[in-house]
Amino acid sequence: MYTPGDTVDNVGYHPDQPIEFPHDLHAGDKKIACQYCHSGARRSAVAGVPPLNTCMGCHKLVATDKDPIKFLKEKYDKNEPVEWTKVHDMPDFVRFSHQPHILAKVECKTCHGDLTTMKTAKQVAPLQMGWCIDCHINNGASTSCQTCHY
Amino acid sequence: MRFESHKLFRILLNEASVYKMKHNTDKDLQKLVDTKEVYLREDLPFEAPNKTIEKGPLFRSVEEVSPELGESPTEDSASSSSSLKSEEYSLQRRDFMKLFSASAVVASTVSCVRRPVEKVVPYVHQPLDQVPGVAVNYATTEPGINSLGLIIKTREGRPVIVEGNSQHPLSQGATSAPIQASIQTLYHPERPKSPRAKMGNNKVFDVKWNEVLEKISSLVKGKKVGIFTGGSTGHRQKFFKDFLKNVGSEETRLYTYESQTLVAATATAYKIAFGVELLPRNSLNKANFVVGFGTEFQDVGIASIYDTKSFSQGQSYRRGTLGQFIQFESRYTNTGTQATERHPIAPGDELGLNLSFVKALLAHKSKKGSKAEISSIEKVVSSQEDYIAAALKRSGLEQSLFDQLADKALKNKSVTLSGQSGGADENATLLQLSCIMSNILLGAYGTIMHIDRGWMKPRTNPMDLQRFLKESSDLDVLFVIDSNPAFTVPESTGIKQILEKIPNVVSIQSFPNETDEYASFMLNGHHFLESWGDEEPVAGFYSTRQPVVRPFTNSKQAEDVLLWVCAHIGKPLPHADYRSYLKTQWKKIHAVLGNNLSLDRFFDVILRTGFVGKLKRQSLSPLKDLSASFAKIKTMEEGYILNAYLDSRLTDGEYAESPLLQETPDGLTSICWDTWVAVSPNTAKAIGAKYNKVIEIKSGSKSLKLAVYPLPGLHDLSVVIPRGNGHSNNISKIFAGIGKDPLPLLNAAFDPLSGVIVTSGQKVELTPTGETYRLCATQKHNDIANRTDIIKFLPLSEMSKNEAKSKDLDTVPDLYPELEVGDYRWGMSVDFGKCNGCSSCSVACSVENNIPSVGREQIMMGRTMTWIRSDRYFSGSVENPKVTFQPVMCQHCNHAPCEPVCPVFATTHDPEGMNAQTYNRCVGTRYCANACPYKVRRFNWFTHKWNIIDDNPIHRNPRALNPDVTVRTRGIMEKCTFCVQRVRDAKHKAKADNRKVREGDIKTACQQACPSDAIIFGDLKDPTSRVAKLRKDYRAFSMLGGDPEHKHYGIKTLPNVTYLAQVTHDGSSSNSGSHDSGGHSDESKDSTGHDHDHDHRHEFNDNEG
Repeated sequence: MYTPGDTVDNVGYHPDQPIEFPHDLHAGDKKIACQYCHSGARRSAVAGVPPLNTCMGCHKLVATDKDPIKFLKEKYDKNEPVEWTKVHDMPDFVRFSHQPHILAKVECKTCHGDLTTMKTAKQVAPLQMGWCIDCHINNGASTSCQTCHY
Repeated sequence: MRFESHKLFRILLNEASVYKMKHNTDKDLQKLVDTKEVYLREDLPFEAPNKTIEKGPLFRSVEEVSPELGESPTEDSASSSSSLKSEEYSLQRRDFMKLFSASAVVASTVSCVRRPVEKVVPYVHQPLDQVPGVAVNYATTEPGINSLGLIIKTREGRPVIVEGNSQHPLSQGATSAPIQASIQTLYHPERPKSPRAKMGNNKVFDVKWNEVLEKISSLVKGKKVGIFTGGSTGHRQKFFKDFLKNVGSEETRLYTYESQTLVAATATAYKIAFGVELLPRNSLNKANFVVGFGTEFQDVGIASIYDTKSFSQGQSYRRGTLGQFIQFESRYTNTGTQATERHPIAPGDELGLNLSFVKALLAHKSKKGSKAEISSIEKVVSSQEDYIAAALKRSGLEQSLFDQLADKALKNKSVTLSGQSGGADENATLLQLSCIMSNILLGAYGTIMHIDRGWMKPRTNPMDLQRFLKESSDLDVLFVIDSNPAFTVPESTGIKQILEKIPNVVSIQSFPNETDEYASFMLNGHHFLESWGDEEPVAGFYSTRQPVVRPFTNSKQAEDVLLWVCAHIGKPLPHADYRSYLKTQWKKIHAVLGNNLSLDRFFDVILRTGFVGKLKRQSLSPLKDLSASFAKIKTMEEGYILNAYLDSRLTDGEYAESPLLQETPDGLTSICWDTWVAVSPNTAKAIGAKYNKVIEIKSGSKSLKLAVYPLPGLHDLSVVIPRGNGHSNNISKIFAGIGKDPLPLLNAAFDPLSGVIVTSGQKVELTPTGETYRLCATQKHNDIANRTDIIKFLPLSEMSKNEAKSKDLDTVPDLYPELEVGDYRWGMSVDFGKCNGCSSCSVACSVENNIPSVGREQIMMGRTMTWIRSDRYFSGSVENPKVTFQPVMCQHCNHAPCEPVCPVFATTHDPEGMNAQTYNRCVGTRYCANACPYKVRRFNWFTHKWNIIDDNPIHRNPRALNPDVTVRTRGIMEKCTFCVQRVRDAKHKAKADNRKVREGDIKTACQQACPSDAIIFGDLKDPTSRVAKLRKDYRAFSMLGGDPEHKHYGIKTLPNVTYLAQVTHDGSSSNSGSHDSGGHSDESKDSTGHDHDHDHRHEFNDNEG
């Protein structure tokens, strides 16, 4: 298992998650829009991991015989949240907000990689400052320090 | 690569131009000298500081004018070494070994630090209104004296910021410092986690709610029960009475007490004068001539935020007019600093001088008031001739002064305001009666003062304390609810003995206090942010309180405890909880204002907006005969008079557990974390004391030792001590050992008419002790080198003459290349003429920006962390100086001296005009702080533990942090960011709406909190914005920016913060200040239009009722 810090830029960080969530099935095969579950992205700084009731919205009926779903159902019935491990973890002094990027029509995969081919998420882009700034310069976005650091 | 080479080329070009410049220096320099853009040593526009400082127009402490009163350097160092005990500060050998080994561990692990693995824990059921990362706001109401409507910003369910509700007429968006800081008491680690009970040998045990409630119920059953509580205007008092009736006690066993005694005194005066207990509601924006006799309406006041807002709108400079405020006061109040003319008077003379003013008004044949009223007033005044003469003599004033005053007052829209908020004397009610008489003669009622439409309701009932002291000895059970009589009622009244005598005292407090010591049950009550409630501050106007967060500790609301007790003794009230009780009570309000909504819907809607109302009307009987009341007049004491006043930060100690407020310096003395005794410089000399010298204050057999602060502008007989500190040591680590309480000095005395406790007007003796104690002052002997471009005054005549002229602060000849400017250029305008030094901005800033409190020792070393400070300047004579406050934050200079000195580019210039500080780049060289001419940069000497929840209350609880602002660690420089997080937020919102940021989208924390609208923030690039207009105003100047009109450009930092010179009346002492009004240059003459000076005001609707 990778832990953050094994490489300088963390590319390839792919931590274990409580269940093997298949992004490829949901976003790839079933073509569910990213923001159906990560609905904070267009409204807030954080995209948000979906609450359990979003999962159970479908999985009350769908694939209830599968082990991961049973796990979710058990958690849901006990009113216990699932603890996921953060993959794309910015340092606390970086103020990244999803909202303006979504509004500027930056595609999710620019930073998160093509999730339609991944099971659980792994870090694809380096998310280092130079990498951010490159994109900001190319797209005419602000490069003032205060854009991200305050 | 192409990009890089392009950059290199530009750098070379710059180098070349610099080289060229260097070699033409002489010619270029001569040219600049000729055009007065550069000054050689001999013709400096401002005097460079000499070793011996010449007396300038401004001074910052008394020792600049009377050096003998200041702390001498030798003595100072000697005393400081004795006060800082060596063992406290030297490193013991064992400690050194501990530190050494710890650092070795750090050194060995630092090379392989991994990024921490973070977890994401989503909701199971995400509430519909919650989006992680997006704030949810709740409307609620402050329980304190101002009844401010508040908006509580919560993030992920946790309250993070308290702001005023901009729609609420009483707050109009502003808040007081204590309310800003209340967020800290909510998360205070010293709030008890469970109810406690005393058992056996007075040992305190944690107990379960069930057990303790059952025990209390068994005690209450069939016994005499009383309730002692703070004031409230809502249904709270009615609920307590219902409870008392229900358990078989009498309704009269409800005792309300607050240290804010002005309420009871005023209510009694109106009862005597008009037959109704009420408080007048002031519309000071309608007045242009205010006469004050010891009034403190901007300090603690009755509705201080409401009054400050309307005062600043009505009195401050606007289109050639400037209001007048004549204040007579014995101590220097923040309100007094706003006076255009201020007279220091002997303490206790407020009544005599107010009567003298009434006499002058009568002599001027005031047309206001009915014949009967006038004859009644005449009767009173003629019977008090001797008293008036004595007061005039004692304060050294002439009746002719009042004649002139009356003459002016009758020609203007005038009003009289009288009385201290907390320092009542034995004539407190009579002073209010004389205030009523002068307001009748001035015709203030109905226009400026409202008593027949939307009057204010008194929070406490007069005489309650006296009743309690007399009749409470037969009580079996006393509930003390959110009140601290053991500390806030003077000991000499025998309050402690009474509390001891009552067999069972149940103390329900949101924070532990001294009264707990006398209680057998100490129950942990809710903080106001966790409680239900309502207020009716203005008759007919209701303001709701709702919980904004689930209870943090295992606390219960006091009302719910009482309901539970009722249920347990078999006499349940028909309400499940206090919320349902309120809802039942609101049926009556719903019937009047329901607007065809169902009660449930109506209640929900009102909780959302926070208030509803239709002002009530009443007709009052004409003025009654007052001579019987005036027969009880007390003559003034001779000698030094003690005034134990209510401090505007800590009040009577209610807020003392907040480290933020303890660290907020007092406006006039700039002292924090301490109690001081302020005397006039003359008195200090007379008793042989000086700054930091401890004197003994004796009153009979009681005495108190305190360090002296010689405060210019006090009357020589005034001995002024703030209340709020000097608590028992075992309650909170915050105030343990901090300050002293002046109340034990007082003899038990009451105002005979209103029964309020007397905390000023008692005679004391002062004797020096020879000891020294260093007061923790943040501002004292700074040398301002006679600079006149720090604060400026403008005579009214000059200002109105130049009304149409505009200033250009941005065109300054210099050698810097032109700055690139983005879509916006953020700027701020500060009208320090409006600032009364209340520190609301500073507290709001600290909460918003996660600024740590550092404690007394660090402040003494000059390590203040606040990003915005209020500098206080005296000008004029030492006996009666004018005080001016100047809020100073980072000036966001376009040519910032801090930027080029940073070796790591941690501080850079933002294209939007802000001076950016990138914390993660900063390596802590502190060069920037040295370079900053405004001294606004703050250095983190320690990591102020953010990320742990521990029991040291001075550490900010991580749950109370603003999640939008990065916390800083040790070795990082920080400073005002213009609330860049709010700017970002507004920009993101604007982008979502596909528009630019509009005027009013962004309010910085300091601007939001300011009760007098002194701070305006906005876009300087938008010529229609208020801040851009104010930058062109004739009053505008940059701090240390010289005098651009006369081609003096100061230090040419080009700040984006504009100050507005204070406009003063011609011939008043203050304009001896600075501005030479000769020869104006012909600058552009376009009009700037000053209507931007007025905010949209959410006033009580005049047509309702």
